[in-house]
Amino acid sequence: MIDVESLTIDYGRADRAVQAVERVDFSLEKRRSLALIGPSGCGKTSILFALAGLLSPSNGTIKIGGEPVTGPRREVALILQNAGLLPWKTVWQNANLSLLLAGDYPGRNAGVILHNLGLAEVKSRFPAELSEGMKRRVGIARALSTAPSVLLMDEPLASLDTLTRERIQDLFLTLWQEHRFSLILVTHDIVEAAFLGQEIIVLTKQPARVKATVVNPKMGSLDYRQSEAFQRTVHDLREALER
Amino acid sequence: MKRTITHVEDTVVLVSKSVTRFVKSPAMKQVITYIVSIAILLFLWEMASLAVNAINQSRLLPGPYEALSQVVKNAAELQRHFFASAWRLILAILIALAAAVPLGLLIGREHTLNRFISPMIYITYPIPQVAFILFLFLVFGTGSATKVAIVALVLFFQILVSSRGAAQNIDEEHLTSVLSAGATRWQVYWHVTLPATLPEILTSVRVSIGLGIAFLYIAETSAALGTGLGTFIKAHMLYARDLAFAGIVAMAILGLVLYVGIDLLEHVLCRWKYVRRRPL
Repeated sequence: MIDVESLTIDYGRADRAVQAVERVDFSLEKRRSLALIGPSGCGKTSILFALAGLLSPSNGTIKIGGEPVTGPRREVALILQNAGLLPWKTVWQNANLSLLLAGDYPGRNAGVILHNLGLAEVKSRFPAELSEGMKRRVGIARALSTAPSVLLMDEPLASLDTLTRERIQDLFLTLWQEHRFSLILVTHDIVEAAFLGQEIIVLTKQPARVKATVVNPKMGSLDYRQSEAFQRTVHDLREALER
Repeated sequence: MKRTITHVEDTVVLVSKSVTRFVKSPAMKQVITYIVSIAILLFLWEMASLAVNAINQSRLLPGPYEALSQVVKNAAELQRHFFASAWRLILAILIALAAAVPLGLLIGREHTLNRFISPMIYITYPIPQVAFILFLFLVFGTGSATKVAIVALVLFFQILVSSRGAAQNIDEEHLTSVLSAGATRWQVYWHVTLPATLPEILTSVRVSIGLGIAFLYIAETSAALGTGLGTFIKAHMLYARDLAFAGIVAMAILGLVLYVGIDLLEHVLCRWKYVRRRPL
């Protein structure tokens, strides 16, 4: 269970502080998915970084599994915009990095995940030798290597072409259903939010405040994009964003 | 008979293809580039020598043939001076690297440390370190240690400033990537800061080679006696310029060897910089 109460994030010193997030509340049950959508630069990423323990809230509380978040935690994994791969490490080294940092490598490794994601053949390559889609899959492999109970994703498919984006959205959905982690996705893409979020929170321009919450109970199948329910959710989200 | 001719033709085609492939290989291209560059430099030197000697009506500037002949004739003596200078320069680079890289990375990433140490760098960096040569000779004598210390001191600032700048420009996503996985401060330095800054550090070492040779020359010629290419060049410049220029050629070779060495090192340590996207 994730609980966010009255989350406020300010940047800068008190007299010249810029408010990025203002009194945001939401909660997420175990193994459910939530999308946060809002205009670019509204403060979505700040919320995600606070959940990852990378930012301290100026006010309010964040609890994961009943424990307040005070720093990065092993059961929480973060996927960044450009997959966050280190260019000087091979696919194998990148995929195993979280395990290595936690002291679990080589006792545990990401071999099976790399194989399942079709990356076994490229494990000795560097990120510069991979397509954008492959890089995202390596990022996913790294995030899943520690078997997290919470997966945070910060616009993970930005700058990908439409077909690759859809393929990786399908992959996210399948992995979420297989691995049963709680998923929080930050995006500015309405279609992505409607495809992956059981609940979608629409945020205002900076400072980010909760503008509307759209529930999306019928998501969860790969052909959901073709359904009327999906079109309705997309329409509701567009209206909420334009309001 | 016809079969023999065909066989010979096939062999010629095969050999010419192999030669073309060898010539077109990246390593060979690099070697050819170096040979052509050296040939152009030797030609320009010969032209300069002819012009200077014609203007002065004397053999003031020896040409490449005279200098290179002296390199061959005095190989044993030059070798002694070459290795004396080479180890001083390499030792100075290693000392400068060992001192400047950790400090540069620390002040590049730790804001409080940067606030205190940067003003010290700004004050001491512009002071010409060469001004301390005589003082250092007075205090520590004219031996190799002082010469190494002078070169190391100059290179220290060069590498320190580059390392600090490189550490300050690390892509935030790389840092966030490891911090979100719970990396400790030491792990961030080892997995991100050092590898991310290594290409720029090696570039600063390349720049330092030229600077180091210049200061090594000053240090070696400031002492009255001793070994080293600087001492050799100074001793012969007035009365045996062919020999002095042989010493200059040896110094150029020293620089070239170190440049190529750093290039090779970069290809090994930063292999990721030289790869391109390729299909499965």
